[in-house]
Amino acid sequence: MSELTIAMPKGRIFEEAYALLQKAGFQLPDDLEESRKLIVEVPHERIRFILAKPMDVPVYVEHGVADIGIAGKDVLLEQKRSVHELLDLKISQCYIATAGLPNTLMNDIAPRVATKYPKIASDFYKEKGEQVEIIGLNGSIELAPMIGLADRIVDIVSTGRTLTENGLVEYERIVDVTSRLIANPVSYRLKSERIRDMVKRLKDSME
Amino acid sequence: MTPIQKFEKPLGMRDSFPLINEKKENVRDVGRKFFRSRGFDFIKTPTVEYYETIGKASAIPDSSLFKLVDRQGETLVLRPDMTTPIVRVATSKLLKEQIPLRLAYFANVFRAQEHEGGRPAEFEQMGVELIGDTSVYADAEMIITAAEFVQELGIDDYRLTVGHAGLLQSILLQLTQSEEQVTELHKLLVEKNMVGFEETLKTFNLSEEQERSFIEFIGQASNVDSIQQLSPFIDKTNPKQVTMFSYLQNLSSLLQNAGLSNMVTYDLTLTSEMSYYTGMLFEVFASGSGFAIGNGGRYDGLLQEFNSNVGATGFGLRVDRLLEVMTSTSPLEPHTLIFFDETNYMKAVIEAGKLRYQGIRTTIQCLDSVEDKHAYQTNFTDVQWLIEGDGRR
Repeated sequence: MSELTIAMPKGRIFEEAYALLQKAGFQLPDDLEESRKLIVEVPHERIRFILAKPMDVPVYVEHGVADIGIAGKDVLLEQKRSVHELLDLKISQCYIATAGLPNTLMNDIAPRVATKYPKIASDFYKEKGEQVEIIGLNGSIELAPMIGLADRIVDIVSTGRTLTENGLVEYERIVDVTSRLIANPVSYRLKSERIRDMVKRLKDSME
Repeated sequence: MTPIQKFEKPLGMRDSFPLINEKKENVRDVGRKFFRSRGFDFIKTPTVEYYETIGKASAIPDSSLFKLVDRQGETLVLRPDMTTPIVRVATSKLLKEQIPLRLAYFANVFRAQEHEGGRPAEFEQMGVELIGDTSVYADAEMIITAAEFVQELGIDDYRLTVGHAGLLQSILLQLTQSEEQVTELHKLLVEKNMVGFEETLKTFNLSEEQERSFIEFIGQASNVDSIQQLSPFIDKTNPKQVTMFSYLQNLSSLLQNAGLSNMVTYDLTLTSEMSYYTGMLFEVFASGSGFAIGNGGRYDGLLQEFNSNVGATGFGLRVDRLLEVMTSTSPLEPHTLIFFDETNYMKAVIEAGKLRYQGIRTTIQCLDSVEDKHAYQTNFTDVQWLIEGDGRR
């Protein structure tokens, strides 16, 4: 049995994804994320976990230093990396939407959109036939319309509470987001047995 | 933006330092002997071609092309692949002299980088094209040649995945209701986006039965060791599919005869963004690289763009990725250093001549010009001193 390297997103998604693997019958220790280690070996399953920032998971997988990984659809859409998307894990459900101050229109001359997802945002407005100026931010996107930096934001919405608390309303829903199991194209061929076994077990345990 | 510094190269461009360069030359040497021994002739084409012809016909997306403008205002491209220029030469000239044609190349190609590293914008490709033969033997020859060349380079842990673009197209058409749907699914298969594939199927309003057989097809036809396992997905009442499938069966038994059974898997869902592939296509993977080391297939469609219908098949391997997966380190090449001083210059020349005549790589170096003699010597396997007195410190 060949060793499998799995890139896992640290933080919120980790717990859910990890529980899913356990549910699929993988014998994994319960206290994995508590240590500050970035690489964790599980010898009896021949699995090695790499703990990475969620945005970086597809990078590791694309370059083949991780065979498979768990990544949000938002990250996959934003980065367009050449990885195989094998399974919808249906965890960490949320969606990407546009939002802004209530009852406002976009500026006619230079509509501005603030976002962590420049590619998704610009694709969306292109599709709509509107040319907008994208302003890239790294967090607290809700600030932008409140202080007049942008007319709209494009961001992840899970419950909508953050929007409401900051006096913003949702305008358009762009795309639903869940976590996906992704694979490196070469690993998909060279370690096909292990990867297909994992997909099957995950699929079965989700039903 | 910060000004360009003296040491910088354009995005994605790389230097080949002597050690890497030697390895590349080694691949080229092995390849030259190997492909020539199989009847392929090497060819070179210009680095720069017209955008209107080569740029548009090549399957490389426009955004990856390096473009420039010549004095007449024509748009030029740095060649993004070798197959298209070779087809240009073959259809316009060489095919009139000989058919079928066996051509080989070792050349650098250019693909512009969008943003990040890890992917060179210029790299060497080595490959062959067999133009003017539509038989299954030609296709088998390509796969076998690719596999045996990879072995020749000492790469043992490799796999070939073989599919058939025409057969996939036909099956997709049968399972869906329109060409647009096929195109949509095709795009998802290129990325192997299984999740997207299933989601898209749901929007097609297929019957439950159809949807199920579709998902079965994608799940089970994508990785089989024996071609027979694909038989259930072939519509026996469709003569085109039956013909293409028996073609694949023939191909499979030819590969089996070549002893490649353990190296080959079949994937009917295999497809490529290269839209000109019409028949068999394959990819080569090896452990040690996160990317495919090469691919190939039958591209009769590209020949049609150049108004020829004689058919062609071929493959290309990426030299940079071959180097990544080649583990065997060649033994240190003997290299003698002769240190000389003023009085011994002629002696050194004569001595070096003798050694070179024996085939030993020899460098002669005036001792006085070398500041750190100790460090300098470490680059050589043997050192001789032609020095008066105690210059040897």
